Amino acid sequence: MTVERSADVSSAALGTQPRSVACQCRNASVDLGSRAGPRRILGDINFDLHEGEFVAILGRSGSGKTTLLRVLGGLVDPTPESVVTFHGRPVAGPPQDVVFVFQNYAASLLPWRTVHNNVALGLEGKVPVAVKRARISESLATVGLEARAADYPWQLSGGMQQRVQLARSLAMRPRGLLMDEPFGSLDAMTKASLQDQLQQVHQHTGATIAFVTHDIDEAVFLSDRILVLDGSPATIAHEIPVELPRPRDQLATKELPEFLRLRRQVYDAIVETGD
Amino acid sequence: MTSATAVLRRTNVLGVATMLLLLGAWELLIRVGLLDFQNLPAPSAVAARAQQLLASGELMTNLLHTLRVTLLGWVLASVIGIGLGLVLGLWRPAWRWSMASFELLRAVPPISLVPLALLVFGFSVRTELTLIVYASAWPVLVNTIEGVRTVRPELRDVARTLHLSRRETLLKLTLPAAMPSIVVGLQLGLSLALVLAVVAELVGNPSGLGNALILAQLALRPEEMFAYVFTIGLLGIALNAAFRQIVAWTLTSAKPLPGKVS
Repeated sequence: MTVERSADVSSAALGTQPRSVACQCRNASVDLGSRAGPRRILGDINFDLHEGEFVAILGRSGSGKTTLLRVLGGLVDPTPESVVTFHGRPVAGPPQDVVFVFQNYAASLLPWRTVHNNVALGLEGKVPVAVKRARISESLATVGLEARAADYPWQLSGGMQQRVQLARSLAMRPRGLLMDEPFGSLDAMTKASLQDQLQQVHQHTGATIAFVTHDIDEAVFLSDRILVLDGSPATIAHEIPVELPRPRDQLATKELPEFLRLRRQVYDAIVETGD
Repeated sequence: MTSATAVLRRTNVLGVATMLLLLGAWELLIRVGLLDFQNLPAPSAVAARAQQLLASGELMTNLLHTLRVTLLGWVLASVIGIGLGLVLGLWRPAWRWSMASFELLRAVPPISLVPLALLVFGFSVRTELTLIVYASAWPVLVNTIEGVRTVRPELRDVARTLHLSRRETLLKLTLPAAMPSIVVGLQLGLSLALVLAVVAELVGNPSGLGNALILAQLALRPEEMFAYVFTIGLLGIALNAAFRQIVAWTLTSAKPLPGKVS
């Protein structure tokens, strides 16, 4: 694969009908402070996310995946010359209609609130009470947790807690979801079922999703496109389109020759960039 | 289950038995003359004197004074401690400006300010209240700062990505997350408030349990002194128990408290 394609080439390579751009990243760099002064973590990142696209951001640990996602979510400021926009507006602070889903679900839920009230957090005072209630039960139903609305997060398993966080994000009716290794600390079975659920959510809501992971299978299984980060400072070393038919199935899709080929390609890309 | 058996279940029977045994030993040692100090009364004498003080209303008057001043001072200290703690904990410049002064003031034991307060405010309830507020505001302040400082950064990110306003973030995330730490501060402050109330009454304000204790000493009535000492002890236990009960009622939803989860 070539290094650093421009956005136009990538959408052509995707071979699908051109979709409008949801998120744009141009010459995005990030300096983070360290003891020896500012250190460049990300250098000159260029890519687009298209409306409704599912993009996985992959890389070794410490490669800057999370930092890149936090830039998109307005939680980390890039250098002044960087241009990052979401839905046409420059990102300065968390963009409207975009919700960040954190890896550490336990620390992201409020232990003193019930599941229902955790999901309510972003809606309170912003929508009428009836709308709020309807949206909460709808998003809890989407993740299959209606029955646990009155429980506290600590009464739920890890997978359920992450589903609560997903429900809280969905209740905001986001057009964009930024997910930071959301299933990273879950066991394989739970992970698979949450991947299926996320796939359905993606299908139903049509949201644009950027999904950081270090799991190659997960990236291939879920996404339309994979960005591989590497280097120091990190850049997009590879961009790999994933053209597997949807809906995808945990068994059937993963047995497709194309799945295996992509898995290999991504693996090679990561190993190659690593040396 | 009846309430009587419920109380019995919660009571530490062995602990109470030990206490009674010690009191019995004390009584016995004095009766047989093994303990022979001029001014050490037997528990029975103390109990008799306490009954007289109760009957005359003297004990109640003093108890109510100390209770009122302790609670009033503690509430004021809590308001000041939490308010100031939020400012110092959340607003960096305030912390930088004041840290040195606070560290210095904190190093001064509040009791060493008793003579000073006496000189400034005289023998009055103002001396007492000032000392209580000053001493018990510290633990509230320090624990509030600690509480809001150690709120997990993830929660701040959650607030930002869900577009909560600063006010919402403070009321819905920061304060509840800091609450376990603040509660610890409030509890320490309450114990200190009683200590300072008694100290101020011993030397300054001419009313309350501390003052009664001094008067009993001057009148050479050791049984009365012991009666007041026990009263102060019981007041401390009662205040602490009441505080715990109120916390348990108001923070039921926070069970387990956020700080205790991990």
